[in-house]
Amino acid sequence: MSLKSERRGIHVDQSELLCKKGCGYYGNSAWQGFCSKCWREEYHRARQKQIQEDWELAERLQREEEEAFASSQSNQGAQSLTFSKFEEKKTNEKTRKVTTVKKFFSASSRVGSKKEIPEVKAPSPSINRQTSIETDRVSKEFIEFLKTYHKTGQEIYKQTKLFLEAMHYKRELSIEEQSEFTQDFYQNMAERMQTRGKVPPERVEKIMDQIEKYIMTRLYKHVFCPETTDDEKKDLAIQKRIRALHWVTPQMLCVPVNEEIPEVSDMVVKAITDIIEMDSKRVPRDKLGCITRCSQHIFTAIRITKSEPASADDFLPTLIYIVLKGNPPRLQSNIQYITRFCNPSRLMTGEDGYYFTNLCCAVAFIEKLDAQSLNLSQEDFDRYMSGQTSPRKQESEAWSPGACLGVKQMYKNLDLLSQLNERQERIMSEAKKLEKDLIDWTDGIAKEVQDIVEKYPLDIKPPNQPLAAIDSENVENDKLPPPLQPQVYAG
Amino acid sequence: MAAAGGGGAAAGRAYSFKVVLLGEGCVGKTSLVLRYCENKFNDKHITTLQASFLTKKLNIGGKRVNLAIWDTAGQERFHALGPIYYRDSNGAILVYDITDEDSFQKVKNWVKELRKMLGNEICLCIVGNKIDLERERHVSIQEAESYAESVGAKHYHTSAKQNKGIEELFLDLCKRMIETAQVDERAKGNGSSQPGTTRRGVQIIDDEPQAQSGGGGCCSSG
Repeated sequence: MSLKSERRGIHVDQSELLCKKGCGYYGNSAWQGFCSKCWREEYHRARQKQIQEDWELAERLQREEEEAFASSQSNQGAQSLTFSKFEEKKTNEKTRKVTTVKKFFSASSRVGSKKEIPEVKAPSPSINRQTSIETDRVSKEFIEFLKTYHKTGQEIYKQTKLFLEAMHYKRELSIEEQSEFTQDFYQNMAERMQTRGKVPPERVEKIMDQIEKYIMTRLYKHVFCPETTDDEKKDLAIQKRIRALHWVTPQMLCVPVNEEIPEVSDMVVKAITDIIEMDSKRVPRDKLGCITRCSQHIFTAIRITKSEPASADDFLPTLIYIVLKGNPPRLQSNIQYITRFCNPSRLMTGEDGYYFTNLCCAVAFIEKLDAQSLNLSQEDFDRYMSGQTSPRKQESEAWSPGACLGVKQMYKNLDLLSQLNERQERIMSEAKKLEKDLIDWTDGIAKEVQDIVEKYPLDIKPPNQPLAAIDSENVENDKLPPPLQPQVYAG
Repeated sequence: MAAAGGGGAAAGRAYSFKVVLLGEGCVGKTSLVLRYCENKFNDKHITTLQASFLTKKLNIGGKRVNLAIWDTAGQERFHALGPIYYRDSNGAILVYDITDEDSFQKVKNWVKELRKMLGNEICLCIVGNKIDLERERHVSIQEAESYAESVGAKHYHTSAKQNKGIEELFLDLCKRMIETAQVDERAKGNGSSQPGTTRRGVQIIDDEPQAQSGGGGCCSSG
């Protein structure tokens, strides 16, 4: 209402406010005089046209190049080489775009370190469109929000626009300069609101959040992990490092979290999901929000395990453990981005700032981690790092594979199987032994018998005078009466 | 740097201070802050989920102060991470256990480090905790106090268990931080009107009449 009375002095023709396309809706200078619908169509068409043109240009260049090659050299091999190079470059670009999205989608399912996804797939056309829709939505929300502040709102909108334009021309500068420029902008805006706009401090904070959201949604693409820095290299380095440290157990870090309690392992999974989700957000404050949510889940896990409030002594090791387990994508880029472009007042003193600092500490710790910091001997550490042995094998009983019941069951079953295997082998060897014993025994008996037979050879003398010989020497035989003869008596 | 100072010259603006809590594990850091912020000791009814980041609002002589207390991990293996925690802090509370000589040595190390990294801008408090265990004292009062004086820190005796000396400790620290902030402000006030002297100023163009017509498109549709 007050807005209208303020600008009674300006005469604007009704037609000037309408959409340039003449659809009957009101236009908006932010959309170059179109209404939102027409603007989106127009924008999309221009984009399509641009893509088409780029494609044509690329094709033409390629043709020219091919022709040039064909004329200068008759060598066919060279020609195909350039073409394949061109193709390679294109696919490289594509994969880079896609992995970001992929990383996010694969996020919740991954536990522990995972391999890269070097899959080549054409980028879905919706990615580009979605980005612009999101930008549109944020712009709209920003304008809606500023409306409630009337004159101050207009002023803010104008300054923000000017800042974005200035940033556009600073794209070639180093990222540090761009960051400083942005920080200056935040500070000056906050001060201006307080001193000139007489906006109460709580409101300033709210407005600053909206400004941050608006400008960073727009700048994200250019200032997140820019090619002029080695952020990407650092990302890969820490990712590799975490993967190499997959064997670190909660016991080594003295993590005060017992994952055998189902609620606790639930919290751990949630914390991991939150920290991985950070990469999908565009606004620094939203990224901080993910870290804060992750931290709160950690606190809940500690609280359930220890039933007392968590101190930093408990929190930091647990956070390190979560980072090691989750291996969040583009960790260094995200940290750098937040440091460079978050509203400093939030980062320095607020609760979010505290958790962010802890995350930085966790990363620093992981980078410098050595045998001593895990209370291990140097040999053990080296052996684990080289993958020769795993501490899990040695303490399979003490170690609880925190993941889930299924995995635990699997480990138990594996254990059982190996035990069974051992017993089976023992039985087999004993059976063999028994067989051998039996054979030996028979042999032994045979040999013994043989020996005895040899020792006492069985001489069977032929019977030379059978029976008669017995009493042959009996001289008085003749004197004996004749043997009785059976007599038959008639009854 | 400017934001952390937080010293608002304008009336009605609150000071916000960051205070780090340093000390070996088991010296009672957590108990100390929980006693201060929740007035509870080893209590089952502690409402807070965590004791690693706590805030407290104070009003000292009409000046509003927002205190953010950052706990740090005290284990030896995390010692190297100290600078990440305490950069930009306005005050540091270094806690030792009066029954544990080693914990006092640790405090000495931290003092050296803090002075090296942050200079004299940071207000240091050395705190001997657990004075309820006076009979088992292993760190002499004289030694501790003279050491504190030698490094420009204040020394306090506390007992989180019996709630002794804690209120005084924080109140004193806040007063000192306000003083430091005011000195800072005056120094900056002489140089330029803006607190962020290190920052290059962004050009803010001030043209009210144009602003009206510029924002006209977006606001008229509502």
